Amino acid sequence: MPDGERANGSWSRASLMSLFDRERGVLDRRVLSDESLYRLELERIFARGWNFMCHESQLPNTGDYLVNYIGEDQVIVVRDESGRINVLLNTCRHRGNALCRAEQGRAKSFVCTYHGWNYGLDGRLIGVPGLKTYYRDDLDLERHGLVKAAQVDSHLGFVFATMAADAPPLSDYLGDVGLAGLGMVGAFGEVEVIDGIQKNVIDCNWKIAVDNLFDWYHVTYSHASANSSGFTEIARFLQPNQQMVMLGEYGHAISGPAMPKARQDQIDGLSDEQRVEMAKTLPGNIVRIRPKAAAGLMGAEGVRSLGHPNIFPNLWITLGGLQMCLRLPRGPSSTELWWYTVVPKNASPEFRRQAIRFCNHAFGPAGLFEQDDGENWSQSTRAARGVSSGAIGHHLGMGVGRDRVTVSATGERFIETCINEHAQRWLYRSWTEWMAARDWAELRANHSPAPTAAV
Amino acid sequence: MQLAERVLLQHEVEQFLYAEAALLDARRYRDWLGLLADDIHYWMPIRRTVTVGDLDMEFTKPGAMAYFDDDRQLLEMRVKKLEASTAWSENPPSRSRHLVTNVRIAGVEGDEVTVEACFHLYRTRLNSEVDGWVGRRIDVLRRAGDSFRLARRHIFLDQTVILATNMSTLF
Ligand code: FES
Ligand SMILES: [Fe+2]
Repeated sequence: MPDGERANGSWSRASLMSLFDRERGVLDRRVLSDESLYRLELERIFARGWNFMCHESQLPNTGDYLVNYIGEDQVIVVRDESGRINVLLNTCRHRGNALCRAEQGRAKSFVCTYHGWNYGLDGRLIGVPGLKTYYRDDLDLERHGLVKAAQVDSHLGFVFATMAADAPPLSDYLGDVGLAGLGMVGAFGEVEVIDGIQKNVIDCNWKIAVDNLFDWYHVTYSHASANSSGFTEIARFLQPNQQMVMLGEYGHAISGPAMPKARQDQIDGLSDEQRVEMAKTLPGNIVRIRPKAAAGLMGAEGVRSLGHPNIFPNLWITLGGLQMCLRLPRGPSSTELWWYTVVPKNASPEFRRQAIRFCNHAFGPAGLFEQDDGENWSQSTRAARGVSSGAIGHHLGMGVGRDRVTVSATGERFIETCINEHAQRWLYRSWTEWMAARDWAELRANHSPAPTAAV
Repeated sequence: MQLAERVLLQHEVEQFLYAEAALLDARRYRDWLGLLADDIHYWMPIRRTVTVGDLDMEFTKPGAMAYFDDDRQLLEMRVKKLEASTAWSENPPSRSRHLVTNVRIAGVEGDEVTVEACFHLYRTRLNSEVDGWVGRRIDVLRRAGDSFRLARRHIFLDQTVILATNMSTLF
C-alpha cells in the first residue's frame, strides 16, 4: 500500500476516491476484501443510506414483526397498534440482548429474555421488573426505549429505513431511477409478497453480487446449463443489442434489455384490455405487457425497460418486477441473499401459480439459474484476498467512453446500446463517493449528478 | 399386518432407499429418474426460526415459496442440467454422501407406503467447501412390480438460512 494512503489508520478522501478508476473502469480489488473498507461501508453506506425493510403486505396485522438488517445491525420491523410500521434496533437498552430471536412472528410487546425489560410495539419501555424495589424508581423509562431508525418511509408499500437523521427524504433519495425501479414491481397494481423468503449465504463480497445484477454479459455463459436443461431460453429475453441503461443519483441504476421505442409506441396506442390480449400471444408464461398506468410509475422511457433495477446499495429487482433480492453484508467475504416473490394482488390464480412456480425455480440457492452464480462470486472474492491476485485491477471497462446518454423531452436519461458495463461502473463510482463523504452534507455536495453526455 | 410382513416391508423399503441414495452418490442421475413415479411431488418448503407460539408458521405451506417444488418435468430439467458440462456449480462435481436413517413406516394404503426417515446429506466441493444438510423426509413409495417408485418426497431441512453457496444436489 503506497505511503500516506491511510491517514491515522483511516482512509483519506483521496485514497478512497482512487479505489475506482472511472476513466478506465478499473476497480482496486481491495474494495472486495479489505476489512477496514468493509467497516467503513457499514458506517458510510448502510447506516447512512435508505435500506429496504419489507413490503407492507408482510405485516398485515398489529404485532406482526420480522427481523431485517441495516448493515450488520439487526432491526425489528413491526406494525404497532396505530397501524404504523416501526423500525427498532434489536438490542435491549439494558445490556444489549436481542429482543427478537425469531425471523418473524406475532408479538404483543417485546420482552427481553435476560432481565425482563418489556417494550411496546412502538419501542417504548413499558415495564422493568423491580422498578420500585431494586431501582427505587430511579430509572427514566422515557429515555430507555428501543432505538428507532431515524426515518422510516415507504413507496408503493415498500418500506425503507435509514439511521441517518440528515438523509434526504426517501423519494429524493430514490430519484427518478430508484422510483422507476420500484415502479417496475408496482406496474401491474398493488402487490403482495408471497409467503416465504428464500435465504442463503454465499462466501462473496456483497458488491460482487450487486454488480452481477447489471451483468448481462455473463448470462449466456454462466447460465448455459439453465438454457440447455430446457428451463428457459436465454436468447428469448437477452437481446444483446437492445440494452438500455439508466443511471440515477446516489448509485441507483437500471440495466438490461429494453423494448425498442417503435414497439413501445405501438403498445402505447393500445388499451389495457388490448395489452392483456397481446400478452397472451407472446411466448413464455409470465411475460407481461405493462398497463397504461405503468408509464406514470416508471417514466415514458423507463417503462420500456425489461432489465434489472438496483436500489442502492443492495436491493435488486428482477423478472420484470416479480422478484426482489436483498444482498446483506456479513463481512468482506460473506453475503446473505434474501429472495422475495411479489405478485399483484389482483392476479388470476393461474398467473399466480405460474409466477410462483417460475420464481421458485429460477433463483434462490436451488434455482436452475442461481446455482451457477455463487461459485463465480466466491472465487472472485477469494482472489481479491491474495497478495498478488488482489493487486490486479478488477476489469469493468466494457464500452467505456463509447456511448452517449439521451435526454428525453420529459428529462429521462437513458443509454441505448449493446451489452455493456455502464451500470457496474456507475455502482463503483458512486460507491467511492459514498465512502469518501464524511456525512450527508458532503455526499450531497460531492456526488456525481446522473451523466447527460458521453459515458 | 403380521410381524413377519412388517419386517419384510421394512427391509424392502430400506433397501429401496439405500439403493436410491447410492445412485445419487454415484451421480447416476438418469437411473435415479427411473425410480420416480410420473406424478412425483418433490418439495422442500422454507423453514423459519420462530418462537414457540408461532410454530404454525415454521414452514411455508404448499403453493407458497419453497426451495424445491418440483414435478417430474422439473426434476428432469435438474438432471439434464447436472449432465451438462456447463453446469458450473457441479463442474468439478460435488462429492456427496446421502446417509438415510431412522426409517419408519408411517402408513400403508393400497399400493402406497408412507415412509418417514432422517437424512444427513454431506456435500463437499473443490478443496475446502463443506456443506451438511440434516433433516427429515416423508416419502411415499408406490409398489411397482417387485420394487417401488418414489411418488412423493417432502423434505424438511433443519437449517433455516441455507448455509451454502447453492443446493445443486438432490436430496
Ligand atoms: S439485557 Fe434486556 S433486560 Fe437486561
Ligand atoms: Fe447470474
